[in-house]
Amino acid sequence: MGSNTMRREILIGSRVPPVHDGNEPLPVITTRRGSGAPRRRTRGSPSVLSWLVCVLTVMTGHAYAQVELTGTYAIRMYEDYIERGPGSYLGDFTGMPMSDEGRAKALRYSSSLPSTIERQCLAQSPWVGLYRPLALRFWSEVDDSGRVVAWVMAGDYLRDTVRIWMDGRPHPSPNAWHPSSGFTTGHWEGDTLVARTTHVKTAWIRRGVGIPASDQSTFTAFITRRENLLTITTIQEDPIYLTEPHVVSRVWEFDPRGSQGPLRDTCTVGVEIPSLEDTGEVPHYLPGQNPEEDFMVRAYNIPKEAAMGYAHTLYPEYRKTLRPVYTPPASCGRYCCGWIERQGLPGAAPGLTCNDGNLPAALKKAITSTER
Amino acid sequence: MRRILCSAIALGCALALLAGEAIAQTRGARGGAASARAEAPIDLTGQWVAVISEDWRWRMITPAKGDIVSVPLNLLGQQTAEAWDPARDEAAGEQCKAYGAPGLMRGPIRMRISWQDDNALKLETDYGTQTRTLRFGESAAAAPGPRSWQGLTAAQWIVRGGGRGTPRFGSLKTVTTNLRPGYLRKNGVPYSDRAVFTEHWDVHSLPNGDKYLVNTNVVEDSVYLQAPFQTAIHYKLERDTSKWDPTPCDARF
Repeated sequence: MGSNTMRREILIGSRVPPVHDGNEPLPVITTRRGSGAPRRRTRGSPSVLSWLVCVLTVMTGHAYAQVELTGTYAIRMYEDYIERGPGSYLGDFTGMPMSDEGRAKALRYSSSLPSTIERQCLAQSPWVGLYRPLALRFWSEVDDSGRVVAWVMAGDYLRDTVRIWMDGRPHPSPNAWHPSSGFTTGHWEGDTLVARTTHVKTAWIRRGVGIPASDQSTFTAFITRRENLLTITTIQEDPIYLTEPHVVSRVWEFDPRGSQGPLRDTCTVGVEIPSLEDTGEVPHYLPGQNPEEDFMVRAYNIPKEAAMGYAHTLYPEYRKTLRPVYTPPASCGRYCCGWIERQGLPGAAPGLTCNDGNLPAALKKAITSTER
Repeated sequence: MRRILCSAIALGCALALLAGEAIAQTRGARGGAASARAEAPIDLTGQWVAVISEDWRWRMITPAKGDIVSVPLNLLGQQTAEAWDPARDEAAGEQCKAYGAPGLMRGPIRMRISWQDDNALKLETDYGTQTRTLRFGESAAAAPGPRSWQGLTAAQWIVRGGGRGTPRFGSLKTVTTNLRPGYLRKNGVPYSDRAVFTEHWDVHSLPNGDKYLVNTNVVEDSVYLQAPFQTAIHYKLERDTSKWDPTPCDARF
């Protein structure tokens, strides 16, 4: 008995949030008899039971087939570097299938808005790790029989860990209390863990650009580990701010040393702009007054429509619209270098025009000293 | 006596499970007894469209010269990208340098995948009108021939399950070599003829019937890259194939 109690504490006690509605962990299922437990004998039944277990085991063996996901996965930021690193440009909604309402709300976004206490965690939501520059960590929670009850995903900028329940529990009622991580269930389809997340809170989809996601959003995530590569594909649906599912696929690489260090699991709030405190002021732009609404036109010669997140701009046929109006900029002005900004740093090639995006001198110095 | 019987049953169960798995693995790996088409654990055939929801500015259009962000180029790679000259490529008849397999798959493509024969999948794209053959088994060991934009692709089903009535599932792994030097991006981000392009192909289905093909891929190139270039690209299955629009290679747009 004592060992069971300890096991529960070790497995789920320290990491599980307070028990609420359908999000509470199931009690540990004990299938082994304790040493002092009475032994029940049923004459003649063991062989029948054994056969039954055998048949069921053989039949369902692969229903529980799964890939070991436990571990830390290092970011491989070879896609959407700007969005995930320094942050998107205001007015850059390229690649997004936004509704008119979503677009209008995004254009009201000001860079000071996330500094208001009420909105400091809006950038953090389940699966936001796909838009962030740091690692992910997975671990499993098992019951006493060794069965995985839940997979847990933690990562930078999550407001909470995402717990993917694998025990078949239903999603709670729409009105149930739910944490910022929403409610997620999962099952295996072959080697892919398929997760479905509901009960999320209002959030921003991309970093620093104000593309909204409503609390009606749902996510279907496909998590596949192939050798050391972890691929997560999320399909986000939002009847309020998206006109079609928003699909993102990203890659991480297993890091056996877990060298990313502690991951920030939670969002914390604090006063960032004292002048905003207790004023009730909400930084914003009025419709038509966002000075960055045409930024992508000015900086990259992209037609305004292409930057405003219309779904039809995501498909190859849109190039017919682009061809007569688009010419590449004469040069690259910002965030142009390879996977790391190297202008003026050791390793930078002489004579390259690659622009470093005006990295702060202190950061340059830090990188330089680290590399030396 | 009962213990002996239970032990025997347990042993039988274990052997049955192992046998089922082994049968599936053997069938998947051998490829001799049955054709690749017959052994396919997933259906890749159909018309797939790239959904450009990532890196839009680098995939949908030609970015500015020198815009090489996100790609782990080494110094030679950066210098080569800085020297990109589409006019020179056109003069050399190399308008298709951005349409080689590693660059093509990230492009704004529609691709049609079909069985060329029982042991080869044919992948055609409208963008650049390219054709790549994914060869299974012995056909992949054919003489490589001259280097080409699409190279030589060896394909292998990764199969699990399938024993004794259990679900059979899997994915496709391909490795492409024998490539002509080309571009990872339209603006001259280079890969060399030593590049090795490894892809893992997964098909995911949604309850509403939508299907997505996710291609997790790695470009390794000791000449121009300082680390493997690892990305995932997604495509959506199209039932309506009317938007197929073959266009020739274009070195500029």
